[in-house]
Amino acid sequence: MVACLLIPGFELRAALRARPRLALVPAALAPEAGEEPLLGPITTAAEAAGVKPGMRLGEALATCPSLVLVDRDPAAVEREWEDVLRRLEDAGFAVDPVEQGAVVFETHGVERLYGGVQPALARALAAVGSAWDPRIGAASRRFTALAAASVARPGQILLVAAKEEEAFLEPLPLSLLPMTPNRYAELEGLGLRSLGELAQLPAGAVAERLGVEGRQAQRLARGGRKTRVRGRKPASELVEALTFPEAIANELTLRRALGSLLERLLARPERAGRPFRKLALVARLVDGGSWRRVTTLRDATAEVGRLRSALGPKLQELPAPIVELRVEAVELAEHTGQQLALVEPAGEEAVVRLREGLRQVRASTGTGSVCAVVEVAPWSRVPEARALVVPRDD
Amino acid sequence: MVASSGSTSSRRSAGRLNAPRPALVETGPGATPRVVNRESVTLVREEWRVVDRWWTDDPVDRHYFEVVLEGGRNVCVYRDAEAQCWFTQNA
Repeated sequence: MVACLLIPGFELRAALRARPRLALVPAALAPEAGEEPLLGPITTAAEAAGVKPGMRLGEALATCPSLVLVDRDPAAVEREWEDVLRRLEDAGFAVDPVEQGAVVFETHGVERLYGGVQPALARALAAVGSAWDPRIGAASRRFTALAAASVARPGQILLVAAKEEEAFLEPLPLSLLPMTPNRYAELEGLGLRSLGELAQLPAGAVAERLGVEGRQAQRLARGGRKTRVRGRKPASELVEALTFPEAIANELTLRRALGSLLERLLARPERAGRPFRKLALVARLVDGGSWRRVTTLRDATAEVGRLRSALGPKLQELPAPIVELRVEAVELAEHTGQQLALVEPAGEEAVVRLREGLRQVRASTGTGSVCAVVEVAPWSRVPEARALVVPRDD
Repeated sequence: MVASSGSTSSRRSAGRLNAPRPALVETGPGATPRVVNRESVTLVREEWRVVDRWWTDDPVDRHYFEVVLEGGRNVCVYRDAEAQCWFTQNA
């Protein structure tokens, strides 16, 4: 079975870990700087006061004047989420994170270890801990599992049998589908309210009226595709941090600090000579918030100069003075060195380079993004049956 | 809202190459395409029918038209007799 563990409002919960008192009062995650002033997740007390997630800031403050706005803390959220994932992995689950607060995994491999699906999922809940109010949905398809988790109560395990999936999805609201607000409005304008109503429409008519997005939404409303869940590759644990005695905003100082951190990171023996593929620059802001930027390098490198030029410009995006700067090695390349060629590469070397290029594409866009065309029925009279696009993760 | 379950998983599964895309088609006399995706048709070069898989639950009954649009582009469109709507596809 595919299981989905969901922690609603994870960003807010993670930001409130350092200020647990705020969890009991009306509070909401503040809008992101420079974005539309819409509220993020909210606390139960805020919900009771009439505030809703996604509400305009002005409207929310008019509804609940005592509403506390909690600054976004992406570094804390990333740290807490990684901690949750590692606890699940320690319990034996090969996790595939969907987004922060939602992760899917297969129960197949651990059912015998824990004595069935239910005990295995109970183990997953226990591994995460009740403080996060996690809930689990499980079904034979990924979307149904996500939908089940989103309607489950905190601490509940909701299992949906394969033959009941259609009936289970039927009354659920359309808001479970990943669509733009305009598309929701369009569907509501057409009188559609539930997944069942969308699923029953003729596929051709949906495609003609709503385009590709509509077709995908309808496919999900019918349960979605049966796909295997593949566990993620655990992130690298190489981190170097520098804490400043007082808040720093001067670019020269910041660049020097970055250079020093990179040199320390390059000197770490755990790297075993491997160059960096993906790095994250994390800062703790003076007002208590945090800032994080991830950079994928076009060419994996261990040259401090190139790393500086890749990460240095990011420092200009810092929104406030900082008290701590951290560099995290998110992904390391597998090779330990690269010899430049005097003559054009050919044969085996060209293959190695091509493979390396594809690895870079995957590192920046995710697994499954590199595909090969495989002819399956070139003689077919139906054009789309002639060839398939198959992901290549080798 | 539940995040897109297709974001990671569907990209990992095999997909069809040259899948048909919905098209806006206005027809003229004889049900031949007159306007395709808001562009006028200047010439219908060829037309043919594909009837296949009639023995399955997913039969194919398409009337293809290869047309030249006002802008000079060659486009293939077909009317799906099952779904009763138009699609474009490289045939």
